[in-house]
Amino acid sequence: MAFISSGYNPEKPMENRITDIGPQHFTEFLQPVIKKNFGKWLYHEIIEPGVLLHVAESGDEVYTVRAGTARLMSVTMIREICDVADKFCDGYLRFTTRNNVEFMVETKEEALNLKKYLNEQKFEQGSYKLPVGGTGAGVSNIVHTQGWVHCHTPATDASGTVKATMDAVFDHFTDMKLPAPVRIAMACCLNMCGAVHCSDIAILGVHRKPPMIDHQYLDNLCEIPLAVASCPTGAIRPSKVEIEGTQYKTVAIKEERCMFCGNCYTMCPSLPLSDSQGDGVAIMVGGKISNRITKPAFSKVVVPFLPNNTPRWPEMTEVIEKILTAYSEGANKYERLGDWANRIGWERFFEVCDLEFSEHLIDDFRDPAYYTWRQTTQFKW
Amino acid sequence: MAVVEFQGKTFEVDEDGFLQRFEDWTPEWVDYVKDTEGIKELTEDHQKVIDFLQDYYKKNGIAPMVRILSKVTGFKLKQIYELFPSGPGKGACKMAGLPKPTGCV
Repeated sequence: MAFISSGYNPEKPMENRITDIGPQHFTEFLQPVIKKNFGKWLYHEIIEPGVLLHVAESGDEVYTVRAGTARLMSVTMIREICDVADKFCDGYLRFTTRNNVEFMVETKEEALNLKKYLNEQKFEQGSYKLPVGGTGAGVSNIVHTQGWVHCHTPATDASGTVKATMDAVFDHFTDMKLPAPVRIAMACCLNMCGAVHCSDIAILGVHRKPPMIDHQYLDNLCEIPLAVASCPTGAIRPSKVEIEGTQYKTVAIKEERCMFCGNCYTMCPSLPLSDSQGDGVAIMVGGKISNRITKPAFSKVVVPFLPNNTPRWPEMTEVIEKILTAYSEGANKYERLGDWANRIGWERFFEVCDLEFSEHLIDDFRDPAYYTWRQTTQFKW
Repeated sequence: MAVVEFQGKTFEVDEDGFLQRFEDWTPEWVDYVKDTEGIKELTEDHQKVIDFLQDYYKKNGIAPMVRILSKVTGFKLKQIYELFPSGPGKGACKMAGLPKPTGCV
């Protein structure tokens, strides 16, 4: 398309420049009943999966219908969501912190109609556009990252793994039959953008090979001291190499000290390490962020590597289903996945989930690793 | 990689317009970049920032942290943005011929 100016003048870039205005105030977009009863809510209940009721001191009621989204979506999809809001909710809607979309209405009848309507909306290929659910003790949306869609450091894909996983656990999205909510999160490298380090089940992209070094370009493209300092295990040191008679300043990597985190590639474009065979996903479990009963906890690695088997990651979804099944059968009410594993003991967790325990799962990172070993005779055969 | 020709000099640049090799830097490069960075006239203050960035890079192999840049040149961050509207990284470092900033930027 030919260029169409927005009115910005590249000759005078600072003229009429508006800056530091921040986001719009949220009160501009509050649904009227919510605006009226702001800070005066009495109680709430979950009417059925995906439908919430909040009752205010004044007696006002608001019904919320929560629907899943793919997070990555087109303007067409957003417009369709706006159409739903226009048709049922006077144009009001909101997105949740797990990227579900919520529509607010004022009567139960409207809410159930809306739920029925949303569950009828499908893409041409058959997927639900806005499946209703994500409330209570089920599996809500998966917090995830960019993957192969947009990022340059991923070890796996985000949207692909998430679609495969949500398809596998879809029944738990539209139902609330688990002992407690199960939060699944996904990050495509161990920068861990998002919530993998604190989720009940986490999918994490991992590398298994050290970086390649573009000696001839490294000094031009990178600030060498930054690459050296980016390494958590001190595997990188500055060095010089001679290629075809020319001396280049570069770095050397001690491969037996490298654990393939990819931090150096983040800092230095001449150290790429992604590899189609080497890369894959690790599975972590047992994290939580709420303070309910037990303190917040980090998730722990339970499966060190599963291959990137595109486009459906069958090995990965199988492991997740196994863990979910064992948890739903074994845990007490209100017990989060990590609480359950801690109660029965991790050796029992591996047994009931039918997961292999390997040396990769034993912490060996600096002094704190010691505290993760067992310093007691308390264990089960 | 793209090659830029300007006032009889050639510069190899990447897609963001950063110089591929620090050694290729010449004063003409600053003249070439200043238009795309929204700078009309090059002042002594601009030159002071560029000179310091180059000295620091030659000596330490990295670009200085923003606080160091401020402390040594005496320009507050606000003033640096007034000089280089794209900021110390995209603006000043690019003009000084330093490598493109990396990390989660």
